[in-house]
Amino acid sequence: MGKITLATDWLDVCSGCHMSILDIDERIVELLKYVDITSSPITDLKHPPESGVDVGILTGAVSNTHQVEAAKLMRERCKILISLGDCAVFGGICTMRNFFDKEDVLEFAYVKSMSTDAEGAVPRSPALGVLLDRVKAVDEVVKVDVHIPGCPPPADAIWYAVTELLQGRIPVLTGDNLTYE
Amino acid sequence: MASVHLTIDGQEIVAKSGQTILQAAEAAGIDIPTLCDHPALEPIGACRMCLVEVEKQRALQPACTFQATDGMVVHTESEKVVETRKFLLELLFSERNHYCMYCQMSGDCELQDLAYRYGLDSWLYPRPYTPLPVDATRQYFVMDHNRCILCRRCIRACQEIVGNYTLGMGGRGSDSMIVADMNVPFGESSCISDGTCLQVCPTGALMDRRSAYRGHETEVEHTKSTCTACSIGCSMNVVTRDNQILRIEGDWDGAVNGGVLCVAGRFDILDDVRKRVTKPMIRRNGALEAATWDEAIDTVVGKLKAMDGDALAALASSRATNKALSRFAKVFGQLGAASVSTTKEIPAFLEEAEGSLSVLDDSDLYVVVGDDLREDHRVVGIMIQRGVMNRGARLVIIDDEPNGMDEMTIHKFGTAELDRAIDIAQRAEIPVVVYGPSAGKVLPKLREALGDKAQFVGLVPGSNARGALEAGISGTFEANGYSAAYVMAIDELVDPALLDKLSSAEFVVAQTSYMDALTERADVVLPTTMWAEKSSSSTNTEGQVQPLQASLRAPTGVKQDTEILDMLAAKLG
Repeated sequence: MGKITLATDWLDVCSGCHMSILDIDERIVELLKYVDITSSPITDLKHPPESGVDVGILTGAVSNTHQVEAAKLMRERCKILISLGDCAVFGGICTMRNFFDKEDVLEFAYVKSMSTDAEGAVPRSPALGVLLDRVKAVDEVVKVDVHIPGCPPPADAIWYAVTELLQGRIPVLTGDNLTYE
Repeated sequence: MASVHLTIDGQEIVAKSGQTILQAAEAAGIDIPTLCDHPALEPIGACRMCLVEVEKQRALQPACTFQATDGMVVHTESEKVVETRKFLLELLFSERNHYCMYCQMSGDCELQDLAYRYGLDSWLYPRPYTPLPVDATRQYFVMDHNRCILCRRCIRACQEIVGNYTLGMGGRGSDSMIVADMNVPFGESSCISDGTCLQVCPTGALMDRRSAYRGHETEVEHTKSTCTACSIGCSMNVVTRDNQILRIEGDWDGAVNGGVLCVAGRFDILDDVRKRVTKPMIRRNGALEAATWDEAIDTVVGKLKAMDGDALAALASSRATNKALSRFAKVFGQLGAASVSTTKEIPAFLEEAEGSLSVLDDSDLYVVVGDDLREDHRVVGIMIQRGVMNRGARLVIIDDEPNGMDEMTIHKFGTAELDRAIDIAQRAEIPVVVYGPSAGKVLPKLREALGDKAQFVGLVPGSNARGALEAGISGTFEANGYSAAYVMAIDELVDPALLDKLSSAEFVVAQTSYMDALTERADVVLPTTMWAEKSSSSTNTEGQVQPLQASLRAPTGVKQDTEILDMLAAKLG
C-alpha cells in the first residue's frame, strides 16, 4: 500500500494545534511509515502540492482574505479536510473581535493601544490580507469532512483521528478525545 | 398511594400515581438528561432536553412535566430522541457564547457535559455574536448573560425557595434576558445576595467572584458543617483547596435550612480582613511582643493565682463550640471567677429554647417582633417571605423603627398599636410569633393574647448561645470593677461597648484568632483557631445540636480552645 499524503496549514492561529500535533511525540516515527507529510507551516513546503493530497488539516479561524484563499486552496487540493481545534471548528477565541467594528479593532491595535508609540498607523499595504467583517469558522467558508474540537485538541485525539483515517474510517470522537478546552 | 405501571426502555416500572416520567425513570435508575430541571425546584419543561418518545403521542414529550400513566410505553434514547437532543444542543451552543476554553465553569458545566455525552463536534448555525451585558454590580457574584441558557432555574429559585421575586424574564423570543426587578443592575435591585440562584445555575452564567477559575470539582474538597453566623445553624458545605476556602454552598439535605443560606453565612463570613494571630504575645513596655506558649501561659497563671477570684471576669464568645464552652465554664468555675458570662448579652426571655422553625413553612400568619430579619437570622426571614409570596401567608411586623422586612407587608405596627396586630393574628388558623432580642417589652402581652392559639419561636442572638447557656455560662455581664478579664473571643468581632465595660481591668487576656480592638487592649494574647478550623458541635436556637466539622488546618503554633484551657487548668492546679 502506498503512503497517504498529508498537508497542513494554519490560518488565524496561536499555533497551539500544530504543537499538539507534534505532541504525538515518538509516534511520529511510526506515522511516517504510512504518511507522507508534504506542505505544512513547520516543513519546508508551504503550499499543498498541485497534484493534491489525501488528507488536509486546517487549524485556526478564517479572519482575512488571505486566509479565505488558503482555506479554498487546501479544500481544492485534498480529498478529506479536517478542521483541527476550536478556532477552525467553531471560530474560537479569534471571534472575540466580532463584537466590534473591524476599523475600530485596527485603530486600537495599531494606534490607540498603550504599547503603541506616537508613530502608530494602521498598515494598508496592498500586500496584506484584508480583515473580513466577521471572523468565521472554516466550515463557513469551505466544506469540512472531519471536525476535531479542542483548545488544543489532545495529541491522543489527533493520533486517533489520523489512524482511523488510515484504516479507511471517518473518526468519531468520544471520551477524552472530545474536548472543547 | 395508587401505583402506575409503565414501560421505560423495555423495563417494567412501577411508579407512584402523580409522578412524572422523569421521576419514575430516576427512581428506576434510568438517566434522562435535563438542564432546566433541579430537585429543589418545580419542573417547567423549558430546555426540552428531557424529550422522550411516548408511544401513541403525536410528538416527543418532556419527561419532567409529562405524567406517567398506566400502560404507557416510553423510549428515552431512541434514534429520534437522540437526533432531537443533538439538534437542541447545537441550537443552544450557536445562540450565545458557549466557548468553553475561557469559561470558569468548564469541566463542571451541565451544558458541556451533555454536549460531550452526545458527541457534539460542530455546530449547525454560525453564532449571531450579539454582545450581551456582563452584570458585575453585585458584591459577591457576577452575571454573564452571554453564558446564560435561559433555563430559568435562577428565577425559580428566587421565587420558590427564597420568595424574594427579584429575578424575572425580560423580553421575548431571541431577546429574552434574565432581569432583576424592572431591569435594573443587580447591585441596585431588591436582591438580598443569598446566592441560591448562584448555586443552581448549570452553566458559567452566574459566577462566584472568590472561587471562579480556582478549581474544578475534581480538584477540591467538600466538608459538611454548620454555619455559625447566627443561631439558626444552617447546614452548609465548605469547598476548599490547598487549605483555603473557595466558597460555601448550602446543603440541600440540611434539616433546618434545606439548602438555603444568606449573605452572612455564604459570603460575608469569608470576607474577614483582620490580621491573623499566629503566636502568643505578651505586652511589655506598652507593645505586644511574641512569646512562647509556656511564657504566655505562665504569665496568665501567675497573674490569676495572685488575685482573688472576686476580681476576675471570664467572658466567652457564643461562637465557641460546645466542647470549648463546657471546658471554659469548668476551668473558670473551678478558679472561682466572680463572673463567667458570654461576650454578648442574652435577654432572659430568650434563655429557654422555644418553638421549632419547621412550623414556618405551614403557618398562614407570622408576627415578627424584636428582630430585623434582613440583618440577623436572615434565613428565617427567607422562610417567612416565601410563605407570604407563595402561600399567601400574612406578615405582621411589630417594630418602632423601620424594619428590613417592611416592604413585604402592609401590616406594620409600632409597639403602641399592639392591639391591632393581635387582632389580625387572632383571625389566622396557624399563627406563629417569631420573637428576637428586642421583643422584651411586648412579649408578655403577646403571650397573654395569643398564647393558646399561636406557636412561639424564639430567635436567640449570637451564635452558639444555647451551648453557652447549657454549659452554665451566664447570658449577662455586669461591669463590676473587675481588675482582670479573660476573654475567649475567638473570631468574634468584639463590641466596643464590651471593651468599655472592661475599662477597670488592669489585666486582660485575649484568647482570639485575629488582631483587632480587643488585642489592642490585651496584656496577653493567646492565638486560637477560627471557625473553619474547629470540630465539635453547636446548639441552634431551637435547641438542636448540630455538627461542626473543620475544613481547614490551623496555622502552626495556633491551638484549639480546649487545648489552651487545658494548659491553663494544668498549671493552675
